[in-house]
Amino acid sequence: MSMEKILDKARLNDWIAALAKGGDWEVHAPALEDGVWTYKPVGDAVRMDHPNTKQPPKGFSFPQREVFFSFEQIKGEAPRLTQVMPDPKRRAVFGVRPCDGRGAVRMDRVFADNVNDPYYQARRKNVAYVGLACNTPPAATCFCKSVGGSPVSTDGLDILLTDLGDRYHVAAVTETGKAMMAVAGSPLADAAAADRKQVKQVHGEAVAQPQRAVNNPEAAPAKLKASFNSPLWEELARACIGCGICTFLCPTCHCFDLNDEMTGTVPIKGNRVRTWDNCQFPDFTMHSSGHNPRENTAARLRQRVCHKFQYFHENFGMLQCTGCGRCVSECPVGIDIVAVVNKVAEHVA
Amino acid sequence: MINIQDIRDTARDLLAKGEVRAVIGWRAGSRGMPAEPVVITAPEQADELVWDPTCYHNLALHLVEDRKFLAHARKTAGAPIGIIAKGCDARAIVVLMQENYFKREDVYIIGVSCEGSGMIAEWKVARQLDGAVPTAAAFAGDEFAFATAAGEKRLPAREVMADRCLECRNPFPKEHNVALGEDKTGRALEAPFAALARFETRSEGERWEFWQRQFDRCIRCFACRSVCPMCYCEECVVDSINIAVAPETTAEEKANRIRWIERSAVKSENITYHMTRAIHLAGRCVDCGECERVCPVNIPLRLLNNKMEREARERFGYEPGASIGGPSLVASFRDDDPGAFIR
Repeated sequence: MSMEKILDKARLNDWIAALAKGGDWEVHAPALEDGVWTYKPVGDAVRMDHPNTKQPPKGFSFPQREVFFSFEQIKGEAPRLTQVMPDPKRRAVFGVRPCDGRGAVRMDRVFADNVNDPYYQARRKNVAYVGLACNTPPAATCFCKSVGGSPVSTDGLDILLTDLGDRYHVAAVTETGKAMMAVAGSPLADAAAADRKQVKQVHGEAVAQPQRAVNNPEAAPAKLKASFNSPLWEELARACIGCGICTFLCPTCHCFDLNDEMTGTVPIKGNRVRTWDNCQFPDFTMHSSGHNPRENTAARLRQRVCHKFQYFHENFGMLQCTGCGRCVSECPVGIDIVAVVNKVAEHVA
Repeated sequence: MINIQDIRDTARDLLAKGEVRAVIGWRAGSRGMPAEPVVITAPEQADELVWDPTCYHNLALHLVEDRKFLAHARKTAGAPIGIIAKGCDARAIVVLMQENYFKREDVYIIGVSCEGSGMIAEWKVARQLDGAVPTAAAFAGDEFAFATAAGEKRLPAREVMADRCLECRNPFPKEHNVALGEDKTGRALEAPFAALARFETRSEGERWEFWQRQFDRCIRCFACRSVCPMCYCEECVVDSINIAVAPETTAEEKANRIRWIERSAVKSENITYHMTRAIHLAGRCVDCGECERVCPVNIPLRLLNNKMEREARERFGYEPGASIGGPSLVASFRDDDPGAFIR
């Protein structure tokens, strides 16, 4: 039995306060900072009128930089390693859009289902996503529906909120979500039949909103596979400047680099650090010989697009792209993954 | 006002006659707006070209890409490459030529004047259109006309122009083979360095605090570097591979390479990156403002480069992008250069 509640908007902050106090949650929500919607620890007032955040919430489980362990070696002695595990603080992230919830599902496949990444998992198990359904017209760059998502999808979320004007409909998706709704001092009230009816209608209207689409996404993996040697990639990547915006802002890009950062020399001291890496950077695949198998922007664009629409599908049986549109809206030269996939599909027999 | 047909005819003609091997310009983006850079190689593609207030990309970058492509493919250029260039694009081309990155005869410049106008800042448009999504933008005298689902919306150009365009003194591409549009050099809708001057009313402490916060926000996507036509180095100080690797380079040498800037996007490393870039752009930055436009987290990077530009102007009377044959700022010396700082 699912749990559905109603929250008076004016009491959203009371619920957040209850979560912080009764549930020991550190609550984060989107805030407009320097013209950029960013997840921030909640202050006095939460507003959830954001279109979507500039960066997805993936940093909560996979931060751009994290220390794995520190090391120290005094001359003549054995090196000493000290593992650094993430802060076990529980974090509740409010206002996550359904495309980003689906992004979390894909990140979990990589770091939690397939391999055991203790750092990712330590963070992930302490993060709860309180989603917010998209019931305003989609942005010009949204395309969640054509990649298997929906503006009201609950995938990857613990709770889904739906804006009903002066109140939120609050639906639990996971046991964690239920516990958060039942937290001591919660101002959530039972949902009435009329509320349930209204939510249904709002969701129906949201899903009916037209979006741009990847045509025939089921065929995309095979089409892309067949396109590997196509000269089309050079044309598609002609304007690419090789920056890292598309992947750093992607809710599902997860490539990383490991480096030792020295903090002292006598004795030798430092940290083993994981940072995001980026397949669009020329040095991403650079061999130490100097040879680079992905030597140009065409090969690198192909890698990004094929990873989202072919390789991930081959590995996990689902498209990696969730249609959030960040790589489209933020690309400095207008490279559009929807147009790229459609064009490639058109050109492959 | 420039008629788009004149741009298309010029490009078509040059390609048909074989005077250029390609033309770098803009075409409509996949969502209509904004425009996107394109390289056309056949006369019939000329009809794709567009000219509107979203042609903000500095196309000189794509000249650099072309040269790098040719160098890697070990190809010779043959005919020159054509490029449609705004005032700022043309100034960038001049700097690149001044640095012998390519020769004047390698490039055919189709200059386009922004005249009394300039390019939009999308965030300003979004603020004014109040949720309406524009699918096309056009110059319309002192206004810009936007096509939206709710019909045409007009906004005063001044209200939605990028800061860099408001402060632009040279909207006309002085260096050109052919130029379209009126020469309105010298017009600036805002005083030059206005944004910088506004910023400098803050105290030193406030400015330091401001920059620390900004650099803390940087995600090191390197879009500012990637979009800059002046950042053409094959090896960059921030990249993880910045040693020349030869067969005899040992594993130890590779492992112990000097890492000037760590991979971590943390404040100290980010500051080093941005300071290095600002210094390397001194006397070279033409204030096309692309770094600031592309920054996904809105760091006002023009302030850094403008500061260097103003220093060069005030102390040395130097203006980047003014002359191909003239001495460059950091490679020249005059007896009357101010030297009080040299002890």
